[in-house]
Amino acid sequence: MTTDPSAGAGGGLPESTASGVATQPTAPRRLDPTLQVVRRYAWPIAVWLLLGAMILWYSTLIPQFTDFQVTSIAKNSLPAVYLALAQGVIVIAGGVDLGAGALMVLANAVSANLMEGQPLWMVTLIAIGVVLGAAALNGFVGYVIAVSGIPDIVVTLATLFIFTGIALIVLPTPGGGTNGGLRYVFTGAETGVGTNYWPSIAMIAIPTALLAIWLGRTRSGLAIYALGSDENAAHLSGVNIRRTKITSYAVGGGFAGLAGVALTAIANSGDPRFDNAVNGTLNSVAAVVLGGIILGGGMGSVVGAAGAGIVFFTLSPILTAMGVDPNTGQVVRGVVIVAVMVVAGLLQWWRRRKQ
Amino acid sequence: MTEPVLEVRGVAKRYGSVVALRSAELTVAPGEIHALLGANGAGKSTLVKIMAGVLPADEGELLVDGRPLRPRRPSDAFRAGVATVFQDPTFIPDLTVAENLRLAGIDRRRFSSWLPQLGLAELDLGALVKELPLPLLRLLDLARALAHEPRLLVLDEITAALPGDQAELVFEAMTRHRDAGGAVLFITHRLREVLRMCDRATVLRDGRTVARLKPSEGDESALVEPMLGETVARAATEAEAEAEAAPANPAAARVATPDAPIALEARELRVRGRLNGVTLRLHAGEIVGLVALEGQGQDRLFDVLAGDRPADSGEILVAGEPVRPRSPYDMVRRGVVLVPADRLMALLPQQSLRVNLASALYNRVSRWFRLAPDEASRVTETVRRLDIDTRAARQVRRLSGGNQQKVAIGRWLTAGFRTLLCFDPTRGIDIRTKEQIYGLLRELAADGAAVLYYTSELAEVPLVCDRVLVMYGGAIVHELPAASADEPTLLNAAHGLQEAST
Repeated sequence: MTTDPSAGAGGGLPESTASGVATQPTAPRRLDPTLQVVRRYAWPIAVWLLLGAMILWYSTLIPQFTDFQVTSIAKNSLPAVYLALAQGVIVIAGGVDLGAGALMVLANAVSANLMEGQPLWMVTLIAIGVVLGAAALNGFVGYVIAVSGIPDIVVTLATLFIFTGIALIVLPTPGGGTNGGLRYVFTGAETGVGTNYWPSIAMIAIPTALLAIWLGRTRSGLAIYALGSDENAAHLSGVNIRRTKITSYAVGGGFAGLAGVALTAIANSGDPRFDNAVNGTLNSVAAVVLGGIILGGGMGSVVGAAGAGIVFFTLSPILTAMGVDPNTGQVVRGVVIVAVMVVAGLLQWWRRRKQ
Repeated sequence: MTEPVLEVRGVAKRYGSVVALRSAELTVAPGEIHALLGANGAGKSTLVKIMAGVLPADEGELLVDGRPLRPRRPSDAFRAGVATVFQDPTFIPDLTVAENLRLAGIDRRRFSSWLPQLGLAELDLGALVKELPLPLLRLLDLARALAHEPRLLVLDEITAALPGDQAELVFEAMTRHRDAGGAVLFITHRLREVLRMCDRATVLRDGRTVARLKPSEGDESALVEPMLGETVARAATEAEAEAEAAPANPAAARVATPDAPIALEARELRVRGRLNGVTLRLHAGEIVGLVALEGQGQDRLFDVLAGDRPADSGEILVAGEPVRPRSPYDMVRRGVVLVPADRLMALLPQQSLRVNLASALYNRVSRWFRLAPDEASRVTETVRRLDIDTRAARQVRRLSGGNQQKVAIGRWLTAGFRTLLCFDPTRGIDIRTKEQIYGLLRELAADGAAVLYYTSELAEVPLVCDRVLVMYGGAIVHELPAASADEPTLLNAAHGLQEAST
């Protein structure tokens, strides 16, 4: 019989051997580095391939597929992408932020209120201020969670109501506006409607890449993964648990703020409805799950979450193009989430069995 | 005299009403390997955690190279020159080795330079930590601690999870660190390692430093005596001596009972890649030892017998009746119960001692969320019978390892059983508790229970068992009476060699 060289590695009971009993636990075989990366990031890669396939399919469904449709998908999915990134960071750190959508709505209301009629330099300052303010606000939420020990889901459920409430105080009815320059940055046109998709795509790619690099390459970013993966081991490795928790919420808050600014730029107004907040939050959680980030933390990539955010957004035009009733469309979204998780589970089971 | 690397003065720590450390004193000089000894619950782990910055001390002070140290978190301790290898692995499972190094701010080259000396020259730094075998993680923790270039290296039970040849590598690294002028604080239950490796030793008992000695000037009993207090010491050293000297043992009194009814039988159990046709019989009233090197399928055999995982083929018979268990419930119902290797897996760590002892009863009865009077009295009886330390009874996770193990066995005592499957129940447990567990198992067997006892300490076999089975390559390759099961014989058989003696 051949004994498995890595016996005792994964499942099974940990074993010890008496002194004098000698076995060599060999390290797993060295994999080709490229293969290793593909294996590790298989999920995000699959999500982006799925997105490509969906857009291709969409292009065959409608009579004319032009730059206009590409721009439309890219710009309109921006808030969903940013919220997915926000939720992604927080979930990787082992938390969950039900208030993310509300923070987006608050940022939307505040920015639309302040930016109306302002020159570009002022609008830029306001945009930066709103993003930083959202980061600080959510950082405080993280602080409350870290210090009080109240579960994340409880505290952020409270912020969901609080932030939406403040947004309604700031801007009781839909309104406000912004500067054409800001609209150009997010939508590719000063009017918000056009065929220039590069700015929107850049606004998806650059923040996603920056966040992914920070998470995967820097000490403070890896600490986010460490916290979500094994809090005790992270603590013993010298990670400052409290600071890392706060950082995850602050960074997430910054991205939720960016989502709000993007909304202002796309719609040229603020719309502080509770529905928007709840939908934003729930879609961001769905995107995180679909994007391969494990609820509970430690695993997955924000790149996958961003892709899943767009996948989710792209479902609606596809379903519309297919003539599916919007209510049925909601059902389809739910089925997609479950179906993807089931397929992933089956793949994992199959891989383990093969070993 | 040179200034000590570490000085611990009057350190105390309490958890609520439980005093873990009363007054610990410890001095470690540069260029020495210093053993920290003590029975379970003596306060060793607490002292280590205080030095490492995991827990704050209530009283007392620490001096490193003469400078006071009050670490508030582990990184403070690293910076002050104290690097600890904890009992639990500290590498983050979802990150690669290289990412873990970056996380801890450790120079990759300095880390890598230790790898060849630890037998890990082939290690792929891009591998995910969760895909690496457990013993290897201990060595990675050591390499990382060494890469901190600490003044004081603290090793908490590092050899407990390591096979012998890798323990040797650890010893070499310790020696090299000492010879380079560093100091090592070495915590272990294996007294032979202390005699062999350590220059000096400090003994803790009940949270107090009770002795400082030179291992080279005495033998094992000299180390054990202060650990236990005098009366217990004699019994324990005798047991140890018995264990060391293997044959000539009490097994004669416990004659095997082949004509007793068969309690549990396995026929040709097979699991692809793990079990290769295991056949065994447990008679009522006997303790059957199981011995195997790491990874010979013993863990899977226990899982299958306990009903936790299915076998691909083969039969399990309980009292002569074939059973196809679909979950542990099916086996527990028939009186076959498991005490798993990981104690906390069997327990409800945040619940009280009494709830844990009663947990196996909830299967059958639970009225109004309270124990019925007869159940309550059975729990009390179990506590008494096992001599469980009830100081931290409100939450089982606060009990010491040995007491947790007693609870893991005890909950089956409360519920009643006919066959007990014990997987390495004495690992990392002090001698006195071990003795109590041996005694308990013998008592249970005398009352007619059948026990299958896997142990990683070969010296235990003649102390506890009636006969012993040796497992190799997923099958039982050898059977012998415990009386002739001395360490060399078992070791040879466990390596799949022909019997060295008969």
